[in-house]
Amino acid sequence: MSTLAAETPASADVGAVNRMSIAVLALAGLLLSTYMTLYAFGVIGDLTCGVGGGCETVQHSSWARLFGVPVALIGVGGYGALFVAALLGLQPRFAARPAVPRVLLGGAILGLTFTAYLTYLEAFVIHAWCRWCLVSAGIAVLIFLAALPELRQLRRQA
Amino acid sequence: MKTFYGILAVIAVVGVAAIVYSVRGGDGGMATEPIDLRQLADASALLDRAQGVTLGEDDAPVQILVFSDYMCPACATWAGQIETLLKAEFVSTGKVRLTYYDFPLGGHFRHSFVAARAARCAGDQDRYWEYHDRLLGAQQEWGRSQATPTAYFIDLARTVGAEPRSFEACLRSDAHAEVVTANRLLGETLGVGATPTIFLNGRQLRQWSDYNAVRAAIQAAGGV
Repeated sequence: MSTLAAETPASADVGAVNRMSIAVLALAGLLLSTYMTLYAFGVIGDLTCGVGGGCETVQHSSWARLFGVPVALIGVGGYGALFVAALLGLQPRFAARPAVPRVLLGGAILGLTFTAYLTYLEAFVIHAWCRWCLVSAGIAVLIFLAALPELRQLRRQA
Repeated sequence: MKTFYGILAVIAVVGVAAIVYSVRGGDGGMATEPIDLRQLADASALLDRAQGVTLGEDDAPVQILVFSDYMCPACATWAGQIETLLKAEFVSTGKVRLTYYDFPLGGHFRHSFVAARAARCAGDQDRYWEYHDRLLGAQQEWGRSQATPTAYFIDLARTVGAEPRSFEACLRSDAHAEVVTANRLLGETLGVGATPTIFLNGRQLRQWSDYNAVRAAIQAAGGV
């Protein structure tokens, strides 16, 4: 067996588990942000958010859009890209490509940073908590944790 | 891998089903349509429940009745341009009493009935006219919504100083559905076919969009 063949099963196992986790989490995030985007565009008239109305306060605030684009739609793009990258990273044809760990780790870091910014706005600027936004924040943190093993892959490539 | 794709499929199916349910349903027990008169044994009895919202002195020499729809652009023009001047010049001086009747056209104006109910829910907290003005002023914002803009209406209630929880409880129920339906029925009985329809001391005021004509009609009717 070649060196590559000896390494592939071990790295593939680690990669498979963490990439599967990213795919599952990103899919959940994708569905959640789709729901919020439909609300932002008025397709859904009422957010199921529990009592208190925090979701509506946050979603109607001036921070709910970034350069005119609903934040939730940015979430659809981000989670969608991570979902596709994780699924591709699970295919034997793409699993060892250097771009996969870069995209997954880069996307996870970007997502975590964006989420931290939005959570800061909720806490200190808008003074209201949107429960679905917090669920999305939790997903972003978990995706980041699941993407950490990709660092090993990156180091190996370096 | 099969288990993994199975999990993905379950999440996707459950998530999409929840979203579809939210898009189609979600209004719960909220009355968004007028009462179906065919289901009533005596629809004419409903007329007794018709009740406008008034502004001004009861004994004002000029009585103006307005039949209006919250989604109709011409009604927003009336409220934003004519009604504002009217309030300042004649209502506040006791010469005119305005009575506002809901005439939700429905059809293309899909949220007009629930908007009329929302205004009355604000009225329960003595915020009717503030809410009425904001609702008509922001017509372009909430009117575009495909689904019932419940959240928007609740936020608007908050901005006019209404207590949002009681407002929300009112909005999500069938409160005021009867009176709004009755008002529309009253309008139909009086021959209202379009909105806004304005009656000045019992006679229809056709030149409502010209304030000078409205002023002249008020003065001719004794509101000097």
